[in-house]
Amino acid sequence: MVEHKHEPTKWHEMKAPIIGGRDTYQSKSWNPTKKKWGVYTQKGPAPVWFAEANATNWTESMICKTKDLFYEAKLNECFEKGDEVAIKIHYGEWNRTSVLRPEYIAAIVEEVKACGAHPYVVNDTTLSYHTYNSMAISQYQMEGAIRHGYTDATFGCPVLIADGYAGEDDYRVDIPEGLILKETYIGRAIAEADAMIVIAHARGHSITMYGGVTKQLGIGCQSKRGKYITHLAHWGDPHDAIGWPKFTDKCPGKACKFHKMCDDSCPRQAHHVTEHGKVWYPERCRLCYSCQVTCLFSGMTGIGFEENYFPNAMIAHADAALGALKCFDRGKVGLINCAIDISPECDCFPWAGLAVAPDVGIFASKDLMALEEATLHAIDNAPVTPGSVAAEKGCKPGDDRFRIVNGFSPRITMAAGEKIGLGTRKYKLINYEPPMTPENIAKWQIRRGGEANQKPVTVRLRDVFQKHDLATEVMPFGRTAYEKEWAFNEWKKYDPFKGETPK
Amino acid sequence: MNDVVWVDTTGMSFDNAVRHKLGRLIDVSGATADLTEGMRVALKINTAEEGYNYGLRPEFIRTVADAAAAATQTRPVVCDGLKLIDYWKQARGNIFMKLTNLQGFSSETLGGHFVINGGFSGDEGDLFPCNLSDSELGGVEVGTAVCRSDALWVLSHVTLHPLVGLNGALLNGGFDCLVGRARTRLLKSLNPYIFNGQKPPLPDLRAFQRRALESHLGVKAAVEGNIFFINYLWDVTPQPEFYPFSENPVVENKGFLASSDPVAIDSASLDIIQDEGYMQVEAVGGVDFATVLQEAEQMGIGSQKYHLKRLS
Repeated sequence: MVEHKHEPTKWHEMKAPIIGGRDTYQSKSWNPTKKKWGVYTQKGPAPVWFAEANATNWTESMICKTKDLFYEAKLNECFEKGDEVAIKIHYGEWNRTSVLRPEYIAAIVEEVKACGAHPYVVNDTTLSYHTYNSMAISQYQMEGAIRHGYTDATFGCPVLIADGYAGEDDYRVDIPEGLILKETYIGRAIAEADAMIVIAHARGHSITMYGGVTKQLGIGCQSKRGKYITHLAHWGDPHDAIGWPKFTDKCPGKACKFHKMCDDSCPRQAHHVTEHGKVWYPERCRLCYSCQVTCLFSGMTGIGFEENYFPNAMIAHADAALGALKCFDRGKVGLINCAIDISPECDCFPWAGLAVAPDVGIFASKDLMALEEATLHAIDNAPVTPGSVAAEKGCKPGDDRFRIVNGFSPRITMAAGEKIGLGTRKYKLINYEPPMTPENIAKWQIRRGGEANQKPVTVRLRDVFQKHDLATEVMPFGRTAYEKEWAFNEWKKYDPFKGETPK
Repeated sequence: MNDVVWVDTTGMSFDNAVRHKLGRLIDVSGATADLTEGMRVALKINTAEEGYNYGLRPEFIRTVADAAAAATQTRPVVCDGLKLIDYWKQARGNIFMKLTNLQGFSSETLGGHFVINGGFSGDEGDLFPCNLSDSELGGVEVGTAVCRSDALWVLSHVTLHPLVGLNGALLNGGFDCLVGRARTRLLKSLNPYIFNGQKPPLPDLRAFQRRALESHLGVKAAVEGNIFFINYLWDVTPQPEFYPFSENPVVENKGFLASSDPVAIDSASLDIIQDEGYMQVEAVGGVDFATVLQEAEQMGIGSQKYHLKRLS
């Protein structure tokens, strides 16, 4: 271990809080709460539909079951024929492998279209988060989305950035009910939609501990300034550090091999290293996490988070989720959690840790908190993946998994959410088992509608083979003088069971 | 007097097809001279409303986008703003994207990322001064895809225009780069669609033209003067792209022009279209574009006199 010399971080004290032009700019909500908005479930338990991961036949395909749940949970009733329906997903960071497969999103898009509405897929830009982030710039985010297979061609509908080219195309929404936040900013492609279906990749999260549908609503729907607010930027005195990174006075300065990366990490040049420490300008900071992520994930300890930061941010993101929901009338938001590839961190990370549990399945509901509780409960009770960070930390089935993996219990968010009207934490889980019938097998296969399209592919191939059959033309295939010894005996030498039929 | 390079439609051959001609236009005009590695170039194009069927072919834009990408080693952004009027379909972000896709315009076909200038709402932008002592507007809000770029290439499909006379570099590189609410402000209730021969009164028309020219200066300020123009004299229809229909082109295809001077390139375009007595823009479109050019020159936007370099 190298011994470093540390100088205390030099502070440039703020003279006063930063005051922009908010007295004259968007002082009132641009997007008044929808008159018909309201808590979805007044009293629990709320129903949550669940289809387990795994499949052994056509009807149990995860895609088919996702489509089934869409109708079982009556998400098709969230919108009317002709409505513009935003499909909110996470586009995923460059080099991230643990993102939802495009088929899950395409499945829902297909059904929204089949119901006569007009879907479009959206995600907002992010803040910097880390030095080599791709999602903060809309053009780069789209390049990443295309790399993940999220395109107009794969979904069959437009794929958009919800908060515009620069992340500033948004509506201000008042949230007087919020426990910490009293306002948020929502991307306009979301705020202007008639209805929304949120398809969340349920997995861990380094700030909110767990990221499912609430995270999609509380950070994912927010424009850049909406994200700054949810991050609690400039909240409290800079020395309390809730709304700022925490500089620990342990920065070794230029002796740190990551010091250039650290200097480059801030898009606002709020800090730079000196020979043995750091200079810090809190007035320039907007709390984007870039410096903290650079320092923490490179194994250094110079910049971190204040002790109570995470629970506060968790409560704030529940407040912000309420702001997103209030852009819609009651019952106009359908929610799906896909507990698949349950990695420990968010899809905005440019890597993916080993899943902390095997795939659990798909959850659907219209009640946000019920859905989240059901998902968390199922993940908590799932086996622990050997070799994952959950196993390394000694997690057992039944433990609060994301508390052990990431530090705090996601129930903090759920309790805050229930208090402000996001839903009820009491849920009734309805296990969905697809019926194994010829009709149900045929239901979600390629080419639906019309008489000809309903025919199985095998039947349609009869027409093809009657006209053209190149396989038959070259028959008999050239194997008449085959190696009989290999076909009957030789291969058994390489089978430990000598060719016995498995029991 | 500024240079305008014109590649005409003569001498088409195996090694002189449209894409070769466009490539030569870029080379000879020095379009990439000021571009360096990493610069973000926005290509402002004209996308068509549903029903308008003479829009530029994606390949015409892709060839130019590839040249910008080669010069910067960065994929450029291809952009256009939402259509202003809610009569038709392009006034909403998701439907705009769907329609442009149907017309063959996508990130894959255009060679750059296709985005809406002004975001989903069309109103995402920043305010820039018109830098004119007697400016009526003072400043204009320029869409983010344009104003957040390091350089702007204005790729204009030259057509007649009911309010200005000709859609070209001046309009596409000015008024058309603004956010939706700024364009509404500039129009001042002027109806951009002419129905049954009903046109706005001439004084209103002139006042709008002046405001549109002022906005060109605002756009120039937004990209700090890093702006270049290419005019496509191809399928020059009486209606511009924001119409939901199109009549037959009024002249045969004349080729492509490039210049760093918007007044010079539009003057040259007008002269080429009107050459050989094919047509008079004013007679067909009903608006005197020559007056617009004169005013643009007086405002210091560029020079009507140009040196034309014609290539085959």
